[in-house]
Amino acid sequence: MQVNQSQILEALWETFYMTGASFVFSLVIGLPLGILLVVTRKGHLLENEVVFNILNIVINIFRSIPFIILMVAIIPLTRLIVGTSIGTAAAIVPLVFYAGPYIARLIENSLLEVDKGVIEAAQAMGASPGQIIFRFLIPEALSSLVLALTIAIVGLIGASAMAGAIGGGGLGDLAITYGYQRFDTMVMFLTVAILVVLVQGVQSLGNLMSRRVRRS
Amino acid sequence: MIQFEAVKKTYVSGKQEVHALNGIDLTVETGEIYGVIGFSGAGKSSLIRTVNLLERPTSGRVFIHGQDISALTARKIRDIRKDIGMIFQHFNLLNSKTVHHNIAMPLLLAKTPKAEIDRKVSELLEFVGLADQAQKYPDQLSGGQKQRIGIARALATNPSILLCDEATSALDPQTTQSILDLLRRINKEYNITILLITHEMGVIREICDKVAVLEEGRIIEQGSVFEVFTKPQHTTTKRFVRSVMNDELPDSLLDQIHQNDKSRPIYRLQFTGSSVGQPFMSRVSREFQLDLNVLFGNITELQGIPYGNLIVEFDGARAEIDRALASIRNDNIHVEEVQQHAG
Repeated sequence: MQVNQSQILEALWETFYMTGASFVFSLVIGLPLGILLVVTRKGHLLENEVVFNILNIVINIFRSIPFIILMVAIIPLTRLIVGTSIGTAAAIVPLVFYAGPYIARLIENSLLEVDKGVIEAAQAMGASPGQIIFRFLIPEALSSLVLALTIAIVGLIGASAMAGAIGGGGLGDLAITYGYQRFDTMVMFLTVAILVVLVQGVQSLGNLMSRRVRRS
Repeated sequence: MIQFEAVKKTYVSGKQEVHALNGIDLTVETGEIYGVIGFSGAGKSSLIRTVNLLERPTSGRVFIHGQDISALTARKIRDIRKDIGMIFQHFNLLNSKTVHHNIAMPLLLAKTPKAEIDRKVSELLEFVGLADQAQKYPDQLSGGQKQRIGIARALATNPSILLCDEATSALDPQTTQSILDLLRRINKEYNITILLITHEMGVIREICDKVAVLEEGRIIEQGSVFEVFTKPQHTTTKRFVRSVMNDELPDSLLDQIHQNDKSRPIYRLQFTGSSVGQPFMSRVSREFQLDLNVLFGNITELQGIPYGNLIVEFDGARAEIDRALASIRNDNIHVEEVQQHAG
């Protein structure tokens, strides 16, 4: 095997770092967008056709670009934000562009599952739109939201491995440079195995948390 | 007090216009239990939702305690809503929160101090008879218990009006009865005006003081429950009344009468209040030399007033029968000939 333990640990850390940081930023962008997608739709709390249609189309555009192309396409922007287009920090930018709209859709889906009757009851007791969102919609959808965000994290782990292709570091980078380009089957096998364990762990944790928050 | 003044609600879907409410004029006095009945699609849920502006009337005005609410700003409307409790057919509780939290919700929204919330929630739980369920979650409760929680939640802000949107339609008859008893207690003990919509005439008979019958967005009949039940005018009203008060001759009996002799007239005699319990049958029979054959009879109570209904076959000379009927009418008994359907 052409890599040592510390290289693997470093790659693992980079994967954590990329996934974690891009998840936080994506959530910051995706959560408000997801909420807006729900409340601005026809017949909802803050119905607004213009806002809804713009959001809907923009999100669809980002969602339809393959990640590998998105990474290359926004290199100028990445350079503007991070100062470089290569490396772990640089990989975070395309990851956020990839996961932000995705999370918005996932959140939209979860919030739409909330019974309309609950929203009506909230309105009937004189709740403001903000109160309805934060005291009714989100608490009622929380269990489903946690599962949705688990899906997003798993998706980000996969995408961050792809970011290895443009020198983003992490387990994907290791697999490509050593496992693929230097034909080291052992490295390839090991990185894939680590990713499998990682995804299993995240999913189990997500399921557990989702059950925990079902009643709060 | 709730007043509807020429309220219309029109939905536009595509090119089609649907007139859910077509000019509603209705007054619900303070302290009343007012029931609106109608088949599904009659406009009941639109009607009840214009009271707290969950739906805005397309035209017309709604007054709450004399104030026109249709012109208010969103903030003012939220304040008014705190004075109008609402309960729902499917309860609409937060499944992620405890019973305590659900009832506390309207108070949390109003930023009430915690000690005050705890005191009020305990009081309400006691009132609806679920004091030991505070830490349970809605999905651990039965339908009737959920509705009690819904009622407690609706009362948390001490409203003066309670709206009941098909509140018992998802419950079994026994549970329905207990919820209706609770609503009556709320009306009496807190003097809360109740406006309810339902498709069950039994609910109207059980607790309402007044009733309006809604059809195709119009009120086709309204009045005191006693009036409407004893003298329904409109076909739809008659159908509703018949659904809870069987006062028709059974078909088999009707067939029998046809086979025997068609010439004997049959009359429906309705007596109310003091006219119940007079020995008029034997008197009439003696006085006019008639044979009276009771085909059907029942006595029920409506709003605490006895109400009797007899279907009687008169056998005797025509002239005597007419004199007998005149005499019966004199005793404040309503007389009406029963149409004998051919075949």
